[in-house]
Amino acid sequence: MNIAVLIKMVPDTESRLEIIDGKVKEDGFKYMVNPYDEFAVEQAVQFKETVGGKVTLVSLFSDNASIDTDLRKMMAIGADETIVLRQQEYSGNKPSSNARILSETVKELNADLIMCGVQGIDYYQAATGPMIAHFLGVPHVSGVTNLELSGDKLTASRQIEGGLQIIETPTPVLITCQKDMAKVRFPALKDIMMSKRKPFDNRDVGSESGEDVQTTECSLPPARGGGVILEGESPEEKVDKLIEKLKMEAKVL
Amino acid sequence: MSTVILVGETDGRGIKDVSQQVAGVAAGMGEVIGLVIGKNVSESAMKLAAGKVVIADDERLEYYDPVKYASIVSQVVQKNDATKVLMGATTMGKDLGPRVAAELGWGYLGDCLEASSEGFVRPDFAGKVLAKSKPEGPLVASIRNNAYPIGESWAGNVENFSGDIPDSTLNTTSIEKIGAGTIELTEANIVVSGGRGLESPENYEALIRPLAATMRAAAGASRAIVDAGWVPHSHQVGQTGKTVTPDLYLAIGISGAIQHLGGMSGSKFIAAINKDPEAPIFKVADYGIVGNLFEIVPVLKTKLENL
Ligand SMILES: Cc1cc2nc3c(=O)[nH]c(=O)nc-3n(C[C@H](O)[C@H](O)[C@H](O)COP(=O)(O)OP(=O)(O)OC[C@H]3O[C@@H](n4cnc5c(N)ncnc54)[C@H](O)[C@@H]3O)c2cc1C
Repeated sequence: MNIAVLIKMVPDTESRLEIIDGKVKEDGFKYMVNPYDEFAVEQAVQFKETVGGKVTLVSLFSDNASIDTDLRKMMAIGADETIVLRQQEYSGNKPSSNARILSETVKELNADLIMCGVQGIDYYQAATGPMIAHFLGVPHVSGVTNLELSGDKLTASRQIEGGLQIIETPTPVLITCQKDMAKVRFPALKDIMMSKRKPFDNRDVGSESGEDVQTTECSLPPARGGGVILEGESPEEKVDKLIEKLKMEAKVL
Repeated sequence: MSTVILVGETDGRGIKDVSQQVAGVAAGMGEVIGLVIGKNVSESAMKLAAGKVVIADDERLEYYDPVKYASIVSQVVQKNDATKVLMGATTMGKDLGPRVAAELGWGYLGDCLEASSEGFVRPDFAGKVLAKSKPEGPLVASIRNNAYPIGESWAGNVENFSGDIPDSTLNTTSIEKIGAGTIELTEANIVVSGGRGLESPENYEALIRPLAATMRAAAGASRAIVDAGWVPHSHQVGQTGKTVTPDLYLAIGISGAIQHLGGMSGSKFIAAINKDPEAPIFKVADYGIVGNLFEIVPVLKTKLENL
């Protein structure tokens, strides 16, 4: 099975978010592999281990940051090859343009299965996967918590309100992965060593005009009031105060 | 005046609340045409608050399928020269929206907190940053539940969808209900969440779920206890879990790590029970109780039952 896994590099979740002139200050950001994409890599490698084939990682990122270590780690998990599309004016906030560029590269790979995370933990649009599926002319299933392969048929469990939608599909198809899908392994030392010799291809790409909406202004959300402690001598007293507040102020009881 | 297509969703009981909320938003942007897709949805669909409602009611549309549904939305857009498509940011809306945007070659804004003719606001970095935009071109947007009040339901003109339903290779074989009778996290008015302070999965079952049931709340969790396997990931609130915006979020034995706050700090009111007065959760809590949860929670549950 020929599998393409899309990787987004996202700012570390501990990154300090500072706004200057209506824009998020990105200088100090450290980047990491989007956590949802790791599940996609793990699941793809598991399929390869059962039925054979190849796992290719594709990432679109700026041209001036090194992400080799992070992607080598994904290859240590078992991916075979990495293609990084380097773009001068890269922004993670352009799902449509980014999907167009990524789909060009994915098309060349002729993948049976295309996998990515359900969303990027930077802009949370959950858009790139479905958009790429459309540009490739293949169906997609998003938010998948369990994916099984038998013959060339996949069975996907998609998280919906109150349950799971169970969907069968032949390939080619694009799947976006939720957390429960696969437990990401810790690579063995020999796999880490081996990953250093796997093909790693940096390619320059131009910018693509898309239909993306430009953000005009960023701001930090108003600081929450917060910080109020309900004092009391006993659990009973504290709980009474809480119930009073929930009734009279929050009006939820 | 521009035409707005409002994609409505039904559940067992009728039109979803979020769809009626979006109906109100749509009304402020132009002439609204509702669109409801599914099987046996006609009766519910008529209650969607829109001047005209197009209903695609067909055997083949029983289950959500992005290929079929996106095609139907696009056809209705083209037929009516619409320039906006709005829907709720449900699991369907967040999946359908971007696919429709790609199919139409339009912009997309997902999970918006604000939407009006003045502009849109959506959360970046799990709501740690608010991003404003004023899109000029045609647009597809999904809007978060609870961001707007529910519009009144009323019946407009009804028209049956007469376009094509394309074939799709996706085949939904079943819907598995999980925790039947429980309330969905993202739709709940109250969320009661538990964390590592509970010490064991048994205590989650014994303290959090019954309290949630008493409060008619959804039960949530921190990542620590999801990773420990106490509860499934569908319970996780936070930057790599669900974003919730209930009227009340009650955090029990949760420290309030920045990634957890990302998923719940948009709640109207936050209450927290934690034995550590320095726990960061108290910085965002409107009502903090410093104390041992094993003492507090049973008292709280008994008192709520006797209200
Ligand atoms: C990339 C990334 C993504 C992440 N995404 C998420 C996410 O989506 N959601 C999420 O929740 N976390 C997320 N995390 C994890 C997060 O950093 C924290 O580790 C996690 O939220 C901690 O869970 P907790 O509060 O249950 O546990 P702890 O931090 O261990 O807190 C337990 C709390 O319980 C209190 N306690 C203990 N005993 C009692 C008692 N008897 N009575 C009262 N209080 C008691 C303690 O004082 C403490 O404050 C993420 C981390 C990373 C790196």
